[in-house]
Amino acid sequence: MGVVKTYGNIIKHFQPAHPEVSRRMITAGLFLERFRARHLSDQRIPKAYVELNTLAVGQILHGLKHPETTAWTNLFTPVEILQCFDLFCLSAEALSSFWSGFFIEDRFIDDAEAAGFAPTLCSYHKCFLGSALSGVMRTPSFAVTTSTVCDANFNTFRFIEKHCRIPTVFLDIPAVSTPESIQYVSAQLKELIHTLEEHTGKSFDVDRLREILQRENQSKDLYLRYLLEKAEKTYPTTLTLQMYELFATHLAIGSVEALHFFQSLYDEVRSCPTFHGKRIYWVHLLPFYHDTLQNVFNLSDTWQLQGFEMNIDYTKPLDLSDPLTALAKKLIENIYNRPFEEKIDLVLKTAHELRSDGLIHFCHWGCKQSIGGAMRLKEAAAAAGYPILLLDGDAIDRRNSADGQIRTRLDAFLELLNENGAV
Amino acid sequence: MRNGKKLGYICKYTPVELLEALGYEMVRLDETAAAFPTADALLHPNVCSYAKAVLESSSAAFTGENALCGILLTTCCDSIRRLYDRLRTEYPDRFFYLLDIPRQSNEFAGKLYARQIRDMLLTLSAADPGSFSPADAEDALQQFLSEQEKNCRPEEPTPDAPLKIGLMGARIPTQVRTLLTERNVEILFDLTCNGMTRELLPQNITEETDASPLSGYAFRLLNQFPCMRMTKASGRSLLTDGFTDRLDGILYHTIKFCDNFSFEYADFKRTLSVPILQIETDYTGLFAGQLSTRLDAFLEELSAKKSLPHKSFQIGSAKGDQPMYALGIDSGSTSTNSVLLNEKKEILACEIIRTGAKSTESASRILEMTCKSANISKDDLCCIVSTGYGRVSIPFASKNVTEISCHGKGAHFLNPAVRTILDIGGQDSKAIRLNEKGDVVDFVMNDKCAAGTGRFLEAMARSLEVDIDALGPLSLQSKETVEISSMCTVFAESEVISLIAQNKETADIARGVHTAIAKKSIGMLRKVGLEETLMMTGGVAKNAGVVAVLEELLHTKLFLPGEPQIVGALGAALYALETLFSG
Repeated sequence: MGVVKTYGNIIKHFQPAHPEVSRRMITAGLFLERFRARHLSDQRIPKAYVELNTLAVGQILHGLKHPETTAWTNLFTPVEILQCFDLFCLSAEALSSFWSGFFIEDRFIDDAEAAGFAPTLCSYHKCFLGSALSGVMRTPSFAVTTSTVCDANFNTFRFIEKHCRIPTVFLDIPAVSTPESIQYVSAQLKELIHTLEEHTGKSFDVDRLREILQRENQSKDLYLRYLLEKAEKTYPTTLTLQMYELFATHLAIGSVEALHFFQSLYDEVRSCPTFHGKRIYWVHLLPFYHDTLQNVFNLSDTWQLQGFEMNIDYTKPLDLSDPLTALAKKLIENIYNRPFEEKIDLVLKTAHELRSDGLIHFCHWGCKQSIGGAMRLKEAAAAAGYPILLLDGDAIDRRNSADGQIRTRLDAFLELLNENGAV
Repeated sequence: MRNGKKLGYICKYTPVELLEALGYEMVRLDETAAAFPTADALLHPNVCSYAKAVLESSSAAFTGENALCGILLTTCCDSIRRLYDRLRTEYPDRFFYLLDIPRQSNEFAGKLYARQIRDMLLTLSAADPGSFSPADAEDALQQFLSEQEKNCRPEEPTPDAPLKIGLMGARIPTQVRTLLTERNVEILFDLTCNGMTRELLPQNITEETDASPLSGYAFRLLNQFPCMRMTKASGRSLLTDGFTDRLDGILYHTIKFCDNFSFEYADFKRTLSVPILQIETDYTGLFAGQLSTRLDAFLEELSAKKSLPHKSFQIGSAKGDQPMYALGIDSGSTSTNSVLLNEKKEILACEIIRTGAKSTESASRILEMTCKSANISKDDLCCIVSTGYGRVSIPFASKNVTEISCHGKGAHFLNPAVRTILDIGGQDSKAIRLNEKGDVVDFVMNDKCAAGTGRFLEAMARSLEVDIDALGPLSLQSKETVEISSMCTVFAESEVISLIAQNKETADIARGVHTAIAKKSIGMLRKVGLEETLMMTGGVAKNAGVVAVLEELLHTKLFLPGEPQIVGALGAALYALETLFSG
C-alpha cells in the first residue's frame, strides 16, 4: 500500500504542470496492476475475479489510450446502444474509484472544490470533475448520461460538456412507469442512436443490439444463480472486487467478456466448499480503501460479503422483440429511479433469499438519495428481523471517513451478530 | 371558490393555479427551523437543509387552525424525493403526492406532465371526496387564469438605489431579502426557486400548442425559467446579458447540502465578468451574523468599484488645528484589537486584549487602554471605526466596516505589493484578493464550523496537552509525517487521540494538525485565485508551524506583518482617517 501511495504522490507532483506525465504513470501503473492480478495475486482469490480484474482495468486502460473510441457515461447509461457503435464506456463513478485506488482522489476533489463545487457534493462527482479539468485524462469523443439515481448526473455532464467541449447526450428518465413515459424514453433512445450514427459514421444494427441484450439476459440469469449458490459456499471476495462487479453488471453488460465472467463465476462457485460463517449483505457503495473494513471482510471465511444491491438494480429479462422499449423499461424501472420503499423491498427480499445474517448500509458522503432513506431501511430491516448497521463515511475520499467511529460501530455490530448466533 | 383547505407545496413547477382554481389554498413552504433534531433522526444530517426544515416544521404545519391537509411535492431533487418517502410514513393520514417533472420542456414532455397532473388530481379527489370533480379541472383552470389576468396590476417602480444586484441560486430564506432591503439594494432580478413571479396567463397556455388546455398549461409550467434540473438549464447564464448595463453584482445563494446550484456557481465564476458572491444558508435562521459580514463586504466591494461613498453613519470631524486622531477597533471572536493613527498615518498605539463574554465591554476597555498608551483623552479622538464580528455592537463607533475591507485596506497600507490575504482568526478564516489599488475584488470565508480556524488549533493543543503558543515551535521539530485527515474539529480531535494512543511523537502530530489547517486554507486561497504577494494575518499567523507548512506547500514566502493581529484594526483606523479627510 505504501508503494502505491508514494506512486500516487509522484503522480500528483507532476499533475499541475505535466498532466501527460501523470497520465503515462497511471497507464503504467494499470499495466502493472493487471500483471499483478494475473500472476502475483493472492491464491485465495477466485479465478473468475482475476478475469473481472482484467475486464475492469482493461476498460480504464482503453479510456486512457483510445479516447476516440471511448464515451464518458454514468453507471446507468444504456451502454448496450454504445456497444453497437464500438464505443467503450467509462463511467464517472468508475474513474473516480480508480483515482482513489491511486491515492490521488484528494487532489482532484480539492481542485473541484477550489473551482466552486460544493464540499458537500458527492465525492465521485467532485473527483470526476476535478480530473476532467486537470488534463490527466484525454477527453473522449462522446458522453452520455441519464438522470437516473442522482441530481449530480445532469449537472456534472452539463459542466463537462461546456468546459471540456464534449458532445453530450442527456437522457431524461421519468420516475413513473406508464406507456407514455416508456414512449418518452424510447424516443430519446432513438435520438441517441441517430446522434451516434452521425458521430461515428456507422449504421445502427438492431440485430447486433438484440445479440447484446441476449447476452445481457444470460449474464443476469447466471449472476442471480451465482448469488443463490454463494449463499451456501465459501467464495472469497474483497471490497474492491465487489465494486468491480459493477463493470460487469453495468458498464460492460452484454459484452462477450462480461458473459464469460458470469459463466466463470457461476461455474466456480458451485465447486467451492460449504460456508460456515456469517453472511453480510451490503447496501449502497463499499469504501474499498478502508483498512478496518478490509481487515474484516477481504478474503474472509468468517464474514462473507454476499453482494450489494446496485449489482441487481434491474434483473428482469429484456424483451428481444422490442429492444428499445425493453431498454426504456430497464431505465425507468431501475430501483434507483423508484420510491425508496421499492429498494427496501428488494434488499429485504434478497437478504431473505440469500439467508443473510445482517445488513450494512454505507451512507456515502454527499449521496442524498441513499442517506435520506437509510433510516427507513433500518426501520424496515428491524421489523423484518435483520440486524442492520448504518456506517457513515465516504466511498472514495479517505479524509471523510472517521476510522475510529467506523471501527467501533463495526466491531459492536459483529459482536452483536456473533451473540445472536443468527445463522 | 375556496374549499377552505390548504395544500402545501415547494416547487415552482407545481400546478399551483390549477389547484387554486379547484378551491385549494396553496401555501408555499418556506419555514426555517431552529434546529433539526427530528429531521436528522428521520432523514439524515447530510440531507438538504431545506428538506430537513420542511420535515422539522411539518408537525406544526399539520396542526391548528391553519393546518395543511397535505403537501404536493415534486421530483425536483434527491432530498425532496426522500422527504416524500419519509412524510408518507410519518403522516399516513395526510395527502402527499410526488409529481414527476420531466426535465425536458418540449411538447411531448408537456403531455407527459399533463398525464402526471391528471393522475394526481384523480388521487387527490379520491383522498378528498366531494371537494372537486377532476372532469371540471380544465374549465376551472381557464376561468381562474382569466380572473387572474383581470386582477393583474402593473408593477410599482422601485426607487433608484445606488446598487443593483441580481439574485440567483437556490430558494432564499425571507431573512436574506430583508437584509438586502435594509441596505437599500435594488434587486434587478430574482431567479431563485421562491423568488420568481409566475406568468401563466390564459392565452399563454394555448398559444404554442394545439393540445388540451391542461397540456398547454403543463407545457408552460415546464417552460418557466429553467431550474438546474432541467435540460435547458445551460442557457440560464444568458439572462444576465440583458442586464449588463445596470447589474453591479450577483448574489448567489446555495443551501447547505443542496449541491445543484454549486455547478452553476462554478460555471459563473469561470465565465461571467460581473462580481458574484456566494452565500450559503442552512435554513436554521442562525446565519445572520456571518451573512451580514459577507453581504456588507460584497456591497463595499461593489461600492468601491462604482466609486460610491461608503455607507455613512454619524461621522466625527477634524477639530481645528489640533492633531487628528483616528481609532480603529477590530472586535473579533477571540481578541479585540485596536490601532490609533494620527493624520500622518503614523501608528501611535495599538492594543490586543481577549474579547471575553461581552464584546461591548472589551471594546470600551480597549478604547481606554489605547488612549492611555498614547497619552490622549477619549475626547481627542476625531473618528472611530469598528470592524470584526462585534462591529455593530460598539455604540461609540462613528461607523463600521467589515473586517474583509479593513484587512484589504490594512494590508495594502503595510505592503502595496500584497494581492492575496489569508486571515485566520479565532472562529473565522478568510481568503481575500486585492487589486493593485488595494480594493477587494474577491473573498471567501469559512462556513460556520470551526474547521481550519484558531478554535480548531486550540482544541488540538488541548488534546495534545500543549500550550497553544508552544504548538508552532514544537511542530518545527517534527521528523515523521503524520496525517490528520478529518477537518471536522470533533473528528480531528479523536484522530489526535488515536495518534497519541499509537505513541506518535507530539511534534509529529502537531505538524499533522498544522498541515490539515494549511490544506484547508490553500483550498480557500485557490477559490479566490492565488496571486503573489501573499500575506497572512490573524492570530494563527503567529504560529510558526502553520506558516512553515503553508510556505512549503505553496512554494512561496509569506509576507507576515510585525503584528498580524492588528491588520483589521489598522484598516479600520485608515477608514476613519479617510472619513475625516473626505467629510
